[in-house]
Amino acid sequence: MAQPLNFVLNVAETPEDHGQEPSPYDESEVHDSFHQLIQEQSQWVAEEGLELQQREPGAGGPETSGSGQQALPGPEDALVHSTATLRILASMPSRTIGRSRGAVICQYYNRSVRLRRRVSRPELKGVGRSARPSLRLYDLELDPAALQEEEKRFLLVKELQGLPVAQRDHMLRGMPLGLAEKRCLREESQTPTGKQRGRQGPRGLFPCCGRLRDACVLALHSLGLGLLAGLHALRPWRYALKQIGGQFGSSVLSYFLFLKTLLAFNALLLLPLLAFIVGVQAAFPPPAPPGSAPSFTGLELLTGGGRFTHTVMYYGYYSNSTLNQPCAPPLAGGQCSREAAGLPYSMPLAYLFTVGLAFFITCITLVYSMSHSFGESYRVGSTSGVHAVTVFCSWDHKVTQRRASRLQHDNIRTHLKELLAEWQRRRGSRSACGRLRWVAVRGLVWLLSLGTTLGCTVAVYAFSELMIKSPVSAEQEGALLALPVVVCLLNLGAPYLFRCLAALERHDSPVLEVYVAVCRNLILKMVILGILCYHWLGRRVGALKDQCWENFVGQELYRLVVLDFIFVLLDTLFGELVWRLISEKQLKRREKPEFDIAGNVLELIYGQTLTWLGVLFSPLLPAIQIVKLLLVFYVKKTSLMANCQAPRRPWLASHMSTVFITLLCFPSFLGAAIFLCFAVWRVKPSSTCGPFRNLDSMYEAGKVWVRHLEEAGPRVSWLPWVHRYLVENTFPVYLVSALLLAVIYLHIQVVKGQRRVICLLKEQISNEGEDKVFLINKLHSVYERKERSSPVGTDASPGLSSPSRLELEGGQPGLPSARTHCCAVYPHRVDNL
Amino acid sequence: MGQCLRHQMHWEDLEEYQALTFLTRNEILCIHDTFLKLCPPGKYYKEATLTTDQVRSLPALRVNPFRDRICKVFSHNDVFSFEDVLGMASVFSEQACPSLKIEYAFRIYDFNENGFIDEEDLQRIVLRLLNSDDVSEDLLTDLTNHVLNESDLDNDNMLSFSEFEHAMAKSPDFMNSFRIHFWGF
Repeated sequence: MAQPLNFVLNVAETPEDHGQEPSPYDESEVHDSFHQLIQEQSQWVAEEGLELQQREPGAGGPETSGSGQQALPGPEDALVHSTATLRILASMPSRTIGRSRGAVICQYYNRSVRLRRRVSRPELKGVGRSARPSLRLYDLELDPAALQEEEKRFLLVKELQGLPVAQRDHMLRGMPLGLAEKRCLREESQTPTGKQRGRQGPRGLFPCCGRLRDACVLALHSLGLGLLAGLHALRPWRYALKQIGGQFGSSVLSYFLFLKTLLAFNALLLLPLLAFIVGVQAAFPPPAPPGSAPSFTGLELLTGGGRFTHTVMYYGYYSNSTLNQPCAPPLAGGQCSREAAGLPYSMPLAYLFTVGLAFFITCITLVYSMSHSFGESYRVGSTSGVHAVTVFCSWDHKVTQRRASRLQHDNIRTHLKELLAEWQRRRGSRSACGRLRWVAVRGLVWLLSLGTTLGCTVAVYAFSELMIKSPVSAEQEGALLALPVVVCLLNLGAPYLFRCLAALERHDSPVLEVYVAVCRNLILKMVILGILCYHWLGRRVGALKDQCWENFVGQELYRLVVLDFIFVLLDTLFGELVWRLISEKQLKRREKPEFDIAGNVLELIYGQTLTWLGVLFSPLLPAIQIVKLLLVFYVKKTSLMANCQAPRRPWLASHMSTVFITLLCFPSFLGAAIFLCFAVWRVKPSSTCGPFRNLDSMYEAGKVWVRHLEEAGPRVSWLPWVHRYLVENTFPVYLVSALLLAVIYLHIQVVKGQRRVICLLKEQISNEGEDKVFLINKLHSVYERKERSSPVGTDASPGLSSPSRLELEGGQPGLPSARTHCCAVYPHRVDNL
Repeated sequence: MGQCLRHQMHWEDLEEYQALTFLTRNEILCIHDTFLKLCPPGKYYKEATLTTDQVRSLPALRVNPFRDRICKVFSHNDVFSFEDVLGMASVFSEQACPSLKIEYAFRIYDFNENGFIDEEDLQRIVLRLLNSDDVSEDLLTDLTNHVLNESDLDNDNMLSFSEFEHAMAKSPDFMNSFRIHFWGF
């Protein structure tokens, strides 16, 4: 420990008699908004006498338990800090935040002043040499004239008056005061003219008119309230979601919220399609194909063919000419002359641009919501602090049912035990043999999983080749269901296999287990979809040379969507209901099956990918997906309530939501966008149907239009210019990519810098803490020595009954006063003097 | 269960409550109805008070292991006026700002009310979370030490408000978990 200091403590005198109104402190030393607090504490201290217990609730005299890092007196000695020390400690600002109303008022006064003056931090040299206990922003009063709490409150009211109404209300809402207090503040801070205006009201010539007007306003207002209440009730599934959250917690709720998000995306996708493609074509139906339309059998709902083939549902129905202008199209997709009346509507252009626009809007919305979710759930340096988070945040206060709360208690117990076990395991080193075995087991399981995936892929590929080789006639439409059934079965069965394999690897952290399971399932689904895309665009286009291959692909996707829904129902039925019945009756266990959140979310992502893949060939597919999602919501909710329990594993709801939306954006949407781009740019459309027949690629419709614009005249010449130099040229793409990479690099560097700053600040705080403990102990030893040296009788007063200047032994009396005001909590380091 | 005078809330009061709390009009009216059902008969709702026991047995708080602390923090002199209930619902609502929630969470978790969350408070929190008294001493001390190692920045073996605020601001789950719906059920 440091040598004895030349340290002169300038402590004010206090009245001997305790009962007097205490204004004992030099105003320059203690911020007097803690006046009230000190009053309370001095009363308590006097009541309890000199001997203070270690932990007295409400005593307000906290003593440090000591950090054990300094050479402190032992814990027993720490019990009896002198009351003088305790009094000083009690007035430290860090101990009174939030407890005293005066402190809160002062804090908010200073905050509002700061808002007005836009000063971020008061400069140190602006503060007087008086030993303000704290230079912290919230409690500093720059004006050396100290104010009472009432005056402070008056000033706060004046500040609030200066703010605009919305900001004032916002500030009041965020204040941690009681509502009654806030009402007083609000009333006082309303400008006098406004208050008068509110009270008097317009004094008309006829007072009864005023009353009638009031009555009308009241009636309208209650009508408005009623309408608002109705609108609130209409908000979809508000009550259902609250019920689920109350019974199962945030983790299961995150699945249903994700479902709601997907509904929104599909609705967003459907609107432009309905408005610009489906609606228009339905208004101007093309000539019916030769031959009678097949009659409606129930099989169409599953296969999407038959009666549905020549409807707005599929690509083949859409005409390739300009609507609303009865003239023979001279060029492919060209525009007729402008003599006819009415707005010419070029269907091919509309089709291409609307699909492009819909995808673009979806992309922007996805990226925005992903970044928003990421911003909410990620913090720099947030990987540490798991224990604090568990202790303070793991209880989900939303839960209101007894059974669910018991489950939560169990979950928390398991989680805490796992955390501590993991910590011990991390500390204990693993032997080389153990590590080798660890790696071997994991490698084997991954190999098996990837092998399963490969097996499924080969099966799908072989089956699809078989389907090409044996074409299906019109009567055997049911046989078309074979490939989708195989795909759905594989998608259903393989995750169960993965779960069994995962039981072999015992993961250390349960969160990692979830991530690994999600990863494997995702790889399986994406690879199968990739094989199917190759099958459609690579093989089917060739196989169906003179027929409408786009219709076929659209129907295939429709079949996949519908069958996926049916298999989800079957999985819910067998996975949850039957399993619960079996486990209750046969195995006699009261445990219900867990709701598999990751698996269900991946199902949703898979379904959405199918929709995005199929939009180009079947513009009404988002509508079918919307219906499917609505039904899935109700089925899953019913099954959840009846059959399932919340997962036993801890679930970081916010992190997983971010992961899900990222998965929706990256493999899912990106894959669909690549598929779309390939189909638009590279594949030759069929020549017998659709809006792009007789063109070499769908994109050519756009090129033809630009060429027409060039011929149209100089007024729209900027569009062809843009097309030639920005769209067809590759240089802008490189430029934009380079800019994006530069921005990403900049952000990475900023985050690195922030991490370093955080480390430095932590170190600084730790140093200040050491300083504080050191000073407190010094203070304690000073008073102890003083008490020992002075006669016992005078110890009855709890005040700082001391001469004004105290000197430590070993110090020199004639020291310059520069060190007298070292009472500030953040002094220079004093232990290297 | 008594019935207060069935005063409909004046709409100026409703406006004021809506401006000063984070609750929507609908939510305020629902809480008003619940309050009316519970308060003693024959009293105006602004003057009626609920006891701590009544508030503790509300469906939203019935199974909460921290219900006594919540009631202690939000009540004045051990009773709840209507505005106290509204204040409590506002802090726990979904729209409340993080600083307000963290402020009140600190007060709730400070069992011995000394302005700090120290080891004793942490142990009591863990005991409440586990809802049993037979928890091994090792688990408690280990956990307390871990929490203090992570969050106690100035090494005084206690969490001050700033340290608590810092730890909670880092965790996005805090806002999600510190929500209670006082209406609708």
